Amino acid sequence: MDVEFQHISKNFGQVQALTDVSLTARSSTIHGLIGENGAGKSTLMKILTGYQSKSSGSILLDGVEAQLNNPSQASNLGIGMLYQEPMDFPPLTVLENFSLGTPRQSRQELHFALKTLSIRFGFDLDPDLPVELLTVGERQQIELLRLIHCNIKVLILDEPTTGISPAQKEALFPALKQLAADGLTILLVSHKLEEVANLCSEVTVLRHGKLTHHTAAPFHFPKLLTAMFGFVPKRKDKGSARDKGSPILICKNIEASGERQGLHQCDITVAEGEIIGLAGLDGAGQSTFLRLAAGLISPDQGKVTLFNNSLPHGAKAYIRAQELHTSFIPADRLEESLFAGISLRDHFSLREEHGMFWQSRTRTRQRTEEAITTFSIKGTPEDLAEDLSGGNQQRLLLSLLNRNSRLILLENPTRGLDIQSGQWIWQHLRDELSPDTAIIFSSPELDEILHYSDRIIVFHDGNIVLDSAVADTSHGAIAAAMTGMREGTP
Amino acid sequence: MKKLIIDILLGSLLVFSFTSLVLLIAGAPVLDAFKHIWLGAFASSIKISQVLSVWVPLTLCSCGLLFTFRANLWNIGIEGQVTMGAIGAMAVLRIPGIDPTLTLCLAFLTSMLCGGAWGLFAGLLKTRGGVHEIFGGLGLNFVSQGFILWLIFGPWKRPGIASMSGTELLNRKLWLASLPGWRVATAGIIITITILILTWLFLQKSRLGLKLKAIGQNPKAALLYAISPERYYLQSIFIAGSCAGIAGFIQTTGVYHRLIPSISSGYGYLALLLVMLSGYKIVLIPILAFFFASLNVGAIQLPIVLQLDSALAGVIQGCCVLCALFILGIRHDR
Amino acid sequence: MTRKITGILAVFVAAVALLLSPAQSHASADTFIFGLLMVGPANDHGWSQAHFEAGKEIERNIPGSKMIYIDKVNPADRPGVTIPFLVDDLVSKGAKLIIGNSDDMTDGIREAAILHPDIKFIHISGDDALNPDSPENLSNLMGKMEYGQMMAGFAAAMTTKTGKIGYLGPLINDETKRLAASCFLGARYAWTEVLKKDPADLSFKISWIGFWFNIPGVTSDPTQVAKNFFDSGYDVVISGIDTTEALIVADQKKKEGADVAAIPYDYEGACEIAPDACLGVPYFNWYPGYSYFINNIKNNDWKKEWLWLGPNWKDMNNTKKSSISFKNGNALPGDVQTKLAVFAKGLGNESISLFTGPLNFQDKSIFLKEGETATEKQIWNLPQLLEGMDGSSK
Repeated sequence: MDVEFQHISKNFGQVQALTDVSLTARSSTIHGLIGENGAGKSTLMKILTGYQSKSSGSILLDGVEAQLNNPSQASNLGIGMLYQEPMDFPPLTVLENFSLGTPRQSRQELHFALKTLSIRFGFDLDPDLPVELLTVGERQQIELLRLIHCNIKVLILDEPTTGISPAQKEALFPALKQLAADGLTILLVSHKLEEVANLCSEVTVLRHGKLTHHTAAPFHFPKLLTAMFGFVPKRKDKGSARDKGSPILICKNIEASGERQGLHQCDITVAEGEIIGLAGLDGAGQSTFLRLAAGLISPDQGKVTLFNNSLPHGAKAYIRAQELHTSFIPADRLEESLFAGISLRDHFSLREEHGMFWQSRTRTRQRTEEAITTFSIKGTPEDLAEDLSGGNQQRLLLSLLNRNSRLILLENPTRGLDIQSGQWIWQHLRDELSPDTAIIFSSPELDEILHYSDRIIVFHDGNIVLDSAVADTSHGAIAAAMTGMREGTP
Repeated sequence: MKKLIIDILLGSLLVFSFTSLVLLIAGAPVLDAFKHIWLGAFASSIKISQVLSVWVPLTLCSCGLLFTFRANLWNIGIEGQVTMGAIGAMAVLRIPGIDPTLTLCLAFLTSMLCGGAWGLFAGLLKTRGGVHEIFGGLGLNFVSQGFILWLIFGPWKRPGIASMSGTELLNRKLWLASLPGWRVATAGIIITITILILTWLFLQKSRLGLKLKAIGQNPKAALLYAISPERYYLQSIFIAGSCAGIAGFIQTTGVYHRLIPSISSGYGYLALLLVMLSGYKIVLIPILAFFFASLNVGAIQLPIVLQLDSALAGVIQGCCVLCALFILGIRHDR
Repeated sequence: MTRKITGILAVFVAAVALLLSPAQSHASADTFIFGLLMVGPANDHGWSQAHFEAGKEIERNIPGSKMIYIDKVNPADRPGVTIPFLVDDLVSKGAKLIIGNSDDMTDGIREAAILHPDIKFIHISGDDALNPDSPENLSNLMGKMEYGQMMAGFAAAMTTKTGKIGYLGPLINDETKRLAASCFLGARYAWTEVLKKDPADLSFKISWIGFWFNIPGVTSDPTQVAKNFFDSGYDVVISGIDTTEALIVADQKKKEGADVAAIPYDYEGACEIAPDACLGVPYFNWYPGYSYFINNIKNNDWKKEWLWLGPNWKDMNNTKKSSISFKNGNALPGDVQTKLAVFAKGLGNESISLFTGPLNFQDKSIFLKEGETATEKQIWNLPQLLEGMDGSSK
């Protein structure tokens, strides 16, 4: 089924999310939709699946204008979407999840259908296992089979490779190609250019809600990058390696629970001035480690020593860590580190005016204005945190960092930021902070780690599988470590 | 602001139409009924002062609840905190041989402490025991009810009498005075207005108010600002308990002049609704409290004048509450 | 913000305007309005209804009299409402006399009497008027229900097969203690003097529920207490509370085949709920007391009085004359009815005097020596239950 978007615009109040976007995805092809975060990809797909209404324009399916006012209309028309996070019911079994939304069928029929589809796509699924025991990739496979079983004609994939293993990726890609060959229209939303190049026959680039580029394979990467970012981002030269000082963070024989696998036999020593990147698949233990060092969670076994003081157990640990000049910025800004409905000024009041009873409006206002200038935050002291964009929220968080911090723990610091904002953040971290400050950060982007850190630690299933100076390792070795393949083993 | 006015208008309309329906079903003259409720609450200075005597504990409880709601705590234990405040006051008032003024001052402080401590107890159950404050509070309400019954039936009963009707009447010197011709303790009004102003100051101007707001919005993030949510949960619930305790003190010394099992009169629960209805805005608290109080006082006319079954007054109050929740519901959806 | 302030102002202006509007009053020269505050519902088939019916009777018999009333006057049913508050309201509606029908209202009535010196007050069952310092506009009225309870006890003892009589008591005070004691004395008289049985075989047990009627969560549940009585072999339960739970439970048990019965309390029509399980009811008739006071007020003859009215032995069931009576129920056998009439006659001519020694208190201390008869005051202020009664005295 050909999907034709004609002059689609969408605005949320004052904000223009999509402006006059027209594109056509033909049947039997995989059409890539790329763009940085907030470019409008998701909004466009939500309009197609009926979750959001368009402000103007029309959508044609096989040349006929379609009414897509709610999700059920879209699904009746054969439009199905595979979400980044599996939208399934974890306590139900594979077969039960598979059966949801499909036409009424007996158990045997369903069982047979599932088996046949699994074989066809080379997936290995046990029908009677509860879905909560499966990996994200396997859950994605069930979802995909379910959609196919429902006879969809248009398949939308939203960042399908986040959180799945390379092996699962190996299985997914041929399956998608086969589906396209069978006549399905596939729309692939991604920001990973390699994947798009590998799969798609056509690519549309969105930027700031506008269509900036449309091309068929083969693709010219610099052109795509320009369309995405306006110019090919040039990263600053890698900063000079910093001098290492005395050890400030020592983790010994740590066992801790958290994320999927917890943390096992973790031994890490961090010295002054180090910049350490934590790599690993999503949930492999990086976040647990950061929270452990920040005192937000306590180890089940072992000891965390900060600046020669061992951290106490329990709720006091975090306050103690802060007293020891350790600062932590979580990835989820509005969920974990900012107060959505509180003004910037009040954030400063909360951060800085300890020991005072009354709020001092004038002083904090002045302080906030200074920070807004220094960190070039787009906003006023009275703006609420939730009104800021992601990049500005991150700047706000940096401006709130204790300036005496000597160990900074950052969880995915450039999450959701465009490359420029990310660069700004790193410039600030490297240049503005005293050179004996140690920085530990996690990131899903290997490039970011390789570029900014002096040392890399790779986590896999809660274990540290690689701990090396960046200069002494290679991209391949890291990628292998991330997926659990030790060097020398196949 | 505009929304708020619409809400209030819509709310009143709902309340009136719903009540009219109930009255019609009960076969009562609708307009007469409203007239009598109105007159019952406002016809004379005595009646208005009676309305005020209900307004006092309602407002006090509401002020306390503003603190806990700000920290996103559901202090449903406020009812028990009123009761414990009254018990605390009574414990001091029973001590013989102290100067009455001193006794009253001591009783006032004790009631604050007792109410606060009872709140703190619910808070500790939450922070230490992981018991949600709604369940902890409800449990403690039952405990305090049991405790006051035991006191009235046991150690504090009238000589030779074991009745649930209450303890012996306080010495007249220990009654909070009211102006001649008024039926509301002057001190109660002064205390309530003071608490209202203090609540406004604390919530708007102090860092405590800001911290409570921060914790209420995002307790996870509060930690990053070296604010311990547990500590402020406890502080806010202690303050709420203290306000409730004061209400208990005034109920004991200014209204009933003795301890009775239902000393809290359900004002705590009513205050919970009232605060939610106000959208947690302190400006609306005294006004709404006045409205609920006048309804409470005026509704007594229905059985007296119209011989309506007195349960109907309860039905009307129930209607108000339902309408309030309905308005809250649609406000949420917008 | 300005709008907020305007709103607040508007409310205040409205309040002030109302404050200045004149209070309404229905009173005209020849009407006599009296206010009745009832502790329970006006249709409780018990204490409060007896008062309510008497008030209606007054309206019918005393020209120009008009009753205004409010029932359920207790903190559980009407939280936040106090007696002085209600009195203020009744007075503003023109009431010249206020009758408070519960012992529970003692303090409130006293307070209201001080606040309204020109209004007359009758407090039922109290004894403030005996105190010289009490306000002059406050009198007390009570009926000598002791006789009614003696007859109830008599009827119960004559009927019980198991020799176990249960007494569903309200709260503990002087009044309830003397009533329970009277009931016990009536029962013991029947058991030993009429049936000639061993007093040791008669069990008389009292369970106090904590108030005059059921307040869920506050008092014990009278239905449950009555059930417990019947389930543990007590086949007659006498109610001392204002409501009819004991009779209703007895009726249920009887329908299930048990040979049990109950005696309700307070109100002439109490048996009507379950006539077949009812042995009879000792009841109050408040008309004589009410009319006495109202006539006094109308004739400007009011004085502070403590009035304890007994039965009119010659014409016990005459509502105009007798304050206390006992009405036989369907479950009371004919021969017992005859014996009860003889007993009543004995009480009336004082040939039977039950509060006569030797009588001991529950703690075995001596109440009345051999041949000694209790004074009214001794009975009114009975300090504890009597020997042979099973139940708490305080």
